Amino acid sequence: MNPAEIRITAEPIDTSRCKFVVSEPVHPGGVRRFASPDDASGSALAEAIFAIPGADVAEVIVSGNLVTVVKRGPEPWPAVGKAVGQAIRTALGGDRPAVAPKPAAPGTPGADDDGLYERVADLFEGQVNPMVARHGGRVELIDVQDAVVMVRMAGGCQGCGMADVTLRQGIEAMLQQHLPEVKGVVDITDHAAGSNPYFAAAKK
Amino acid sequence: MLRPYAHRLLLLLPTATYRTAAFVEAARRLDIELTVASERPSTFQDANPAGLVTLDLSDPDRAVTQARAFAREHPLHGVAGVDDDTAVVAAAIAGALDLRGNDVSAARAARDKHEQRALLAAAGVPVPRFTLHGVDEDPAQLAARVSYPCVLKPLRLAASRGVIRADTPEGFGAAFQRLKRILDGALPASRSLLVEDFVPGREYALEGLLSGGRLRVLALFDKPDPLDGPFFEETIYVTPSRLPADEQRAVAACAQRAAAALGLREGPVHAELRVNENGPWLIELAARPIGGRCSGALRFGTGGSGSAAWASLEEIVLRHALGMPIPSLEREPCAAGVMMIPVPGAGVLREVRGIDAARQVPLVEDVAITAHPGQQLVPWPEGARYPGFIFARGETPEAVEAALRGAHRRLQFVLV
Repeated sequence: MNPAEIRITAEPIDTSRCKFVVSEPVHPGGVRRFASPDDASGSALAEAIFAIPGADVAEVIVSGNLVTVVKRGPEPWPAVGKAVGQAIRTALGGDRPAVAPKPAAPGTPGADDDGLYERVADLFEGQVNPMVARHGGRVELIDVQDAVVMVRMAGGCQGCGMADVTLRQGIEAMLQQHLPEVKGVVDITDHAAGSNPYFAAAKK
Repeated sequence: MLRPYAHRLLLLLPTATYRTAAFVEAARRLDIELTVASERPSTFQDANPAGLVTLDLSDPDRAVTQARAFAREHPLHGVAGVDDDTAVVAAAIAGALDLRGNDVSAARAARDKHEQRALLAAAGVPVPRFTLHGVDEDPAQLAARVSYPCVLKPLRLAASRGVIRADTPEGFGAAFQRLKRILDGALPASRSLLVEDFVPGREYALEGLLSGGRLRVLALFDKPDPLDGPFFEETIYVTPSRLPADEQRAVAACAQRAAAALGLREGPVHAELRVNENGPWLIELAARPIGGRCSGALRFGTGGSGSAAWASLEEIVLRHALGMPIPSLEREPCAAGVMMIPVPGAGVLREVRGIDAARQVPLVEDVAITAHPGQQLVPWPEGARYPGFIFARGETPEAVEAALRGAHRRLQFVLV
C-alpha cells in the first residue's frame, strides 16, 4: 500500500476526542481499544499515537476504517491530527501489524469481555433497541473491551440533537443499573453523516 | 436562601437545542447527578425516571407543577435553562423550589424585546427609540410616521430571525409584510412587532455571569463583519475584543445597568451592544449563555492539568446553578473565535465539500457541520439555523479572524 494514497479525514468531536476516517481499512477484524501505552504494545499504530509528543493520549479506538483518539493534552487537534495522520500512514505502510489481535487475558481467554458482550447484547436487543426504535433509531453494539462498551447509533439517533442524552441518560444509565460491571460507553457514531435525525437543532 | 452544596441538577434542554452535547458533557465532567428535562418524552424516561423528565417548557406554571412532583421523588439542588424560553421556566422552578435563580418577572422581561426595551429606557440605559405595533395595523400609515433607517423586529424569535432594516417607506411596507408572514408561521404565536431606530456602529457580544446581581464579564467578542442589514445573520465572533480598554469598561457597565434594570441577579447573560461616538447602546440582553455551538470558543483556566486544565462555559453555568465553587472565571490567555457559517442559499443540502481542507487551515481547531444531508437550508430573515460552525484559536484576534475566513473560503455547500 502506498501511504501517499491514503486519505484521512479528521473529525474532532470536542477538544478531547477526534475521529479519523481513513480511506483504507485499518482494523478490518472488528474493534480494538487501547487505554494505555502498555495496551498498545505490539500494535504499531497505537504505539505511534501514544508516543505523539504533547498530546498526552489517553485512549485509541480502532474500528474498521475509523480511528478515534482521546487526548488529555491542550495541544489543538490540527497539530495533533497531523501527527496522527502520519502515524496512520506509516503504520499501514509498514511491516509490523498496525493493530495486533487482542492478547488473551490470563485465565479464561477473553471470558470477561465475551460474557459481558453477550449480556450487553441481550440488554440492547431486549430493552435498548425497542426503546430507540420508537424514534426510528437503532443502537448497534460494536464491541466490549476491558468492560467498556462501544456503540454506534443509526437511523433517527444518528445526528440527533438529543443523541448525547440518549447515550448518557438512557443507555449508560441502563447499563449501570443492569450491568454495573460495565465501566463506560464509547459512541463511535459518525453523527455528521446522519441524514434523518429525530431531533434537529436550531440556534437558541 | 441557598441550600448547602449538593448534586442533582435539573437541566432544561429543549429538543431543538444545539447545546445538548456541551451541557451533558459538562455535567459528566463535574460528576453531578443530572436530570434532563425536555418538552417531549425521551424513550428512556420510564427506564431512568430520576435522569429524565418531561416538562411543559411552553408553560412555566405547568412546568413548576410538574417539577414539584418530580422533586418530591428526586430532590433537586439546582436548575438551569439553556435558551430564552427555558430561562423563564428555570426562574419559575427556582422560585418555587427555593433554588438559585432569577425572579421569573426578570427572566420574562429579558425574553420579551418590548418589555426589555421599556424597562431599560425607563432606567436610562441607552437603547434605540422604539414603538410597539400590531401586525394588523396599516403599514402605509406606520411608514409615514417612523424615522429612517429603522429596524422591524419580532418580540420573541431567536437568532435575529425576522429582523429587517428599512431605509424608506417603500422598504418599510415590504419589510412589514415579510415579517408578518414570518410571524404567521412562527411559534410562539405573536401579533406584535417592534419598530426601532437603526443604531449605527460596530456590534459586540458580552458573555457574563451574574452572582448576587454583580456582573462578571467572561468574554467580550468583536463582531468584525458589519451588521448593517437589511438582515442580521451573525457570522464571526472573536475575543478578546480590540475595543480600547475604556470603551470595554463602558460596555460592561452598560450591560451591568441593563441586567439591574431588568432585575436579573443570577446566572449567565448574553448581551448584544453597539458602540458609536455616543458610547454603548444596549441592543439586547438575554438571561442565558451564548447560543448555537458558539460556547466552544470559550474555555476558562482551572489551575489543573491535562484535560482538567480548562473548564467550559457550561461547567461554569452548572457550577453556579448548584452553588458549587468556581475555580476561575478567567478566560484562557490566547485569542479565540467562532464563525457561524452563513447560509449559502435556499435549497436542500446535498453535501459539504472542503471540510478537510478547512480543518487544515492553521489555527482552525474544528469545523462542525450541523446541517445534515437532506436538510432544507433557509436564508435569513425567514431562517434561523446555521449550517455549521468554525472554531479557531491563536495568538491574536486578527490571526484568528483570518483563519476563520480562510477556512470558510474552503467550504463548498452543494444544494439542490
